[in-house]
Parts: sequence; C-alpha cells; structure tokens
Amino acid sequence: MFMSKQAIIIILLYVFTYLFPLNALANEYDFEIPDTKEKPYHIGGNIEAGYTIYSLNKNAALYYQKFYNRKEGSSVDSYDITLQLEGDYKKDSAKLYIKTNTNMTQNYLGWDDETELYEGVVSFEATPSFTIEAGKKVIKWGKGYAWNPAAFTSRPKDPDDPEASLEGYSIISVDYIKSLSGRIKTIAFTPVIIPVYNDLNSGFGKTDHLNFAGKLYFLTYDTDIDIMFLAGESIDDRVGVDFSRNFTTNFELHGEAAFINNFEKKYIDSNGILHTRQSDAISYLLGIRYLNRYDTTFIAEIYRNGTGFSEEEINGYYNYIQKGYNTYQTTGVESSLKKSLSYTKAYYSDKNFMEQYLYLKITQKEPFNILYFTPSINIIFNAEDKSYSLTPELLYEPISNLELKFKFSLFHGDFHSEFGEKSYDYKAACFAKYYF
Amino acid sequence: MKKRIFIVIIFCLVTAVPLTFALDGNELLKQVDRNLNPESFEMYRKLINIEPDGSKKEFIMYSVKKGMDSVASIFLSPASEKGRSTLRVGDNMWLYIPNVGKPIRITSLQSVTGGVFNNSDILRIDYSAEYNCEKFEKTDDKYILYLKAKTTAVAYDRIKMWVDDKRHVPTMLECFAASGMLIKTLYFKEIKDFGDGIVRPAVIETDSPLYKGYKSIFIFAKMKKKNLPDEVFTLNYMPRIDGLR
Repeated sequence: MFMSKQAIIIILLYVFTYLFPLNALANEYDFEIPDTKEKPYHIGGNIEAGYTIYSLNKNAALYYQKFYNRKEGSSVDSYDITLQLEGDYKKDSAKLYIKTNTNMTQNYLGWDDETELYEGVVSFEATPSFTIEAGKKVIKWGKGYAWNPAAFTSRPKDPDDPEASLEGYSIISVDYIKSLSGRIKTIAFTPVIIPVYNDLNSGFGKTDHLNFAGKLYFLTYDTDIDIMFLAGESIDDRVGVDFSRNFTTNFELHGEAAFINNFEKKYIDSNGILHTRQSDAISYLLGIRYLNRYDTTFIAEIYRNGTGFSEEEINGYYNYIQKGYNTYQTTGVESSLKKSLSYTKAYYSDKNFMEQYLYLKITQKEPFNILYFTPSINIIFNAEDKSYSLTPELLYEPISNLELKFKFSLFHGDFHSEFGEKSYDYKAACFAKYYF
Repeated sequence: MKKRIFIVIIFCLVTAVPLTFALDGNELLKQVDRNLNPESFEMYRKLINIEPDGSKKEFIMYSVKKGMDSVASIFLSPASEKGRSTLRVGDNMWLYIPNVGKPIRITSLQSVTGGVFNNSDILRIDYSAEYNCEKFEKTDDKYILYLKAKTTAVAYDRIKMWVDDKRHVPTMLECFAASGMLIKTLYFKEIKDFGDGIVRPAVIETDSPLYKGYKSIFIFAKMKKKNLPDEVFTLNYMPRIDGLR
C-alpha cells in the first residue's frame, strides 16, 4: 500500500484547487475562433475523483459471500480516483491512437491501483471508403441503450452506467463503406478478426483460436439496419440484427436481437454441483427514445436475455451460498463460500444475469431554470422476480470541462431475487470529473 | 413613334426581369441557400451559449456539407466534447460519442450543445431541401418569404424569412411550430467575404420566447469550397471526420 485515504484527499484538493481554471467563470467572450490548424498529435484525458458509501444488506446472499469473515459496521465506503489519458498521432493516412485507464481505490479491503491499456490501435485510411485497423480497440455493436445482446465484439457494459469507457480487444478489422443513390443510401461492411492466444484477449473465450466476426450495415428508408455474426472456437457461434429509426422529430424506435447456436449455459445447483446445458438462445430488445415539449427525455427498453438464468437456476445459486455460510457459521469451514465466489466470478458476473428486464430512464434538462443542471432517474426492473434498482442522479456542469455528479442507488427485492440479494441495499456516490 | 415603342419595350423588359424572378419564391430560396454556402464546403464554427446571468459556454466545431442535405460536424473544444461528431443525412441525425463508441440516433428537436440552437440548427441543411415558399412580399429593401415545411419530420413547421433584396441572404428568421407558436428568432449579422465568391453573414444570433433571457450565437470562419466523397457522410466515417481537416 503506497497511498492512504489522506493521500487521496490531497489529490482531490489538488484537482479542485489547481486544475479548475477559475478564469473560466469570467463572463467576457470574444468572436475570434482560435487557431484551427490541425496538429499531427493530440494529448488529453480526464480525471475523476469519487466517494461512495454502501449500506450493507446483512441478510443478503452476496453479503454472506463477501463479508462472512469480516466485521464491518452497517456500511462501508470507497474513495476512487480514475485517470484516463488518451493521445493520437497522425502521419499522412495513418493514425496511432492510445487510451489508458488508471484506477486507484481505497476501501474496506485496503488500497488497490491498476493501470490498463484500454485502446492502442493503428489505422490506415487508404480511401474514405476503405480503412484497415490493427491493435486493441473497442468495437461496439447494437442499438440498445442499457443492454446490447448483439455486441459480439465488446465487453458487456454496465446498464447502470451505459456510457462508461470499456477496455477493448486486440483485433484486426477492415471498414468498407459504399454510398449509393437508390433506396439503399449506404452499405458498410466491417469484418473483424479476434485472435485468442495465451494472454491475448484471454477474457474473450477459449484460448488458442482465431475468431471471425462481421457487421453489415444498411441505411434504407431512413432506417439503420445492421446484420452481424461471430464464428470461431473461442465462443459459441452467433448472429444478430438491429435497427433504429426516427419516426418524428422527437421519437426514435430501436430494436436488437441475437441468436446463439448451441449456447452452453453453466449453473450450479443447491449442492454446488456444476451443470451444463446446451440449447439455442435468443435474446432481444425493443426500445424508444422520446423527447417531450418540456425537454424531458424518456428512454425505455424491454429486454429478453436468452442466455440468462431462470428463477429456479438462480435459486440453486443463492441456496448454495446460504448453505456455505451456514457451514461456516457452525464449523468455521469456508471452502464452500470460496467455491461459490469462484463460481460467481466465472458464471454469474454479468450485471443483469436473469431473463426478463425493463429499463426506464427519465432525464430533465435544466429544471426550474437551474443552469447546467440535469437530473435523471433510471429504474432496472427484473420482470421475473419483481426486484429492481432505482437510481436518481444529479449532474451539474458549472463550467466547461467540469462535471459534478451525485448518484443514489436503491436496491429492492424479495428473498432470492436479483436485487434483493445484493450485498448492499443502497449506495450513495458523488463524483467530480475534469476534462483536459 | 418607334422611339416610344422602343422605350415601352425596354421598360417592360426591365420591369419583367424582377417580376419573373420574384414570382418564383422557391427559386429565390434556392439562391439564398447558395449564397449562404456552396453546395460542398468545409467551415469552422464557434457556438456560444449565453445564459440569463451572463455566463457562457463555448464550443468550436469543424463542419463539412455536401449537396442539399448531408452535413457532418466534429467538436474540437471544449475538452469534454472533443471528438464528438454529428451527422445528418436528410431527416436522419446521429451523434457519435467516443466513450460510447457507436453512433446513436438523435432527433432534430434535441440539442447536443444545450442552449437555444437545436440539432436542426446545428446541422442545418439547405432551406429549400426542407421548405416550400408559399408566398412572399417585397418591402423597401427586403423580401419576406413565407416557408412551409415539406414534411412533418422538419423541426419548424413554418418559417418567416426576411431576405436582403440585394445580396439575397437572410437577415432574420422567425421559426414557428405547427400550432403557430413562435419557437425562436434567428438574426443574421456581420456580412463577411470568406473568399472564392462566398459573401454571407458571419454571425447568427438566436433567442426564443421559450428560453427567456438565453441567447445563442454562431460565428462562422474559414468557410471554403471542398470536394468531399459521399462516404464521408456515413455512420462508419463519423469517428474519422477530424481527419478531413
């Protein structure tokens, strides 16, 4: 441990005191546009400092799993600093882009820090129609806001923070675009090669295989349509489709579906025995985005997760954790709880791992004439077990490049429900983020 | 007698030219479009949102346009917006945010920058692509064009456009909803010679009864003709628009 809570507070003070340019509050403005000559390179990024407090749910299965041998109070907290740096360098038709993510955390487990290369990719644009890229890159597919069942080439996103940066995979890809004058306005094809060898893309699937993916895009009848596929030995073969269309000046409809051939689902029963079931899996999503006359934006989605667990399957998982905890309490043996934790990491790590969900996010722009203030609220509702998370959020941007955010998340649900068995029943967080 | 006939013919010809021209408001609207910008061009813009308390936020963007209805922009500053790009093809609009990593559809009444300008203002295509001129009037030094949207997908149902009768560029626009409510007023100011025959207002200010006390300003710079391939105006190209500069 190289740093303490005090060190984080000093960094926070530094961020607030020195990095925020006070002259940005000045009211003068000029009509001159600064030098617009493009430089061959660019360096930038952002730093975010945050504090989160978690109210522990001491009757929840995941609390037993995480805290069985710890004596915490009714809550735990966490101080976090995230630094993202990005830079690019251009030379003729070639471009190098690098993005790193450094996360420093001080919480009940102590100090932890980690730096990862999120992206590092070289691209060569032979013509505006043809580009080839190689390196680590985030390639996101799908039209859903909270979930993307057809995002075959990226890591799963967090529905609670869908716009957060993700780490990419090492790939080789080509982008071919053709504009047309008929009913189909645009066709674009993006084939992707994803090698999985040793540590390279080890999180993608089974190692020592080469995987092939591709996306075909059309713009026709004012509608975006994508057809995508993934084939290889690292992961089950799958195909997908999505669409998005603006029906009026304030209403958008989107949908997404994925079919996985012979999906291999792994789950444990109440005794901790691992089961494997193979069957075709279909996931789909339908959503809207609507803006009303009061500048309120509604995003609503319904999601069927074909790879998710049924209530019966998830009951077995929670029962096994409960049994492990009972054993630990009576005998002090913790092997079952440790085994359940390894299963959690391997098979139950997806954010929403059950089958049916509803999502609603309501965002109000500058209510009561409070400038640069955007409150929102989102709910993720598990339609099977009727549990939910409810997250109000307040975003304030007093000056350019500075975001202040307060976020409160409430988790509620019955015994053995998804949100009822979280290790905490609510969390409150505040963040300050500065872009440079 | 011949002299009188000659004078009458000359008079008729001289008066007939503007009459013939004036009778076709849509043709005048097309001239306005071409005087505002060439068909295919690039430019830099500064957008300033001024709030009732005098505070302001500035954005700088690089934009390209081709044909009547294809336009793309990328934000150069502030740092929090850098790399965000927007694309419009006809009634279709998208926003690409580097963190999100994929284009998402946006609607014309939203605003990617906040302030009084909405997305249809920021991604303005030719007026003649979206509107028909239903009628016009001639005042001492202006034409007044009454424009009606061609479809319901257009942000403003009606526009009343004041056009300088010599330069054929707008001086003011009033934008109305289908209900007849005034949504905003645009003021075109500061005629500037950008070179290559482009002479147009370099500043557009707007205010709105819906946003009392707020004002937004566009300042145009370095507008020049540029040949652009069609593929630039596609979703896949959005992350790479900066490379056109």
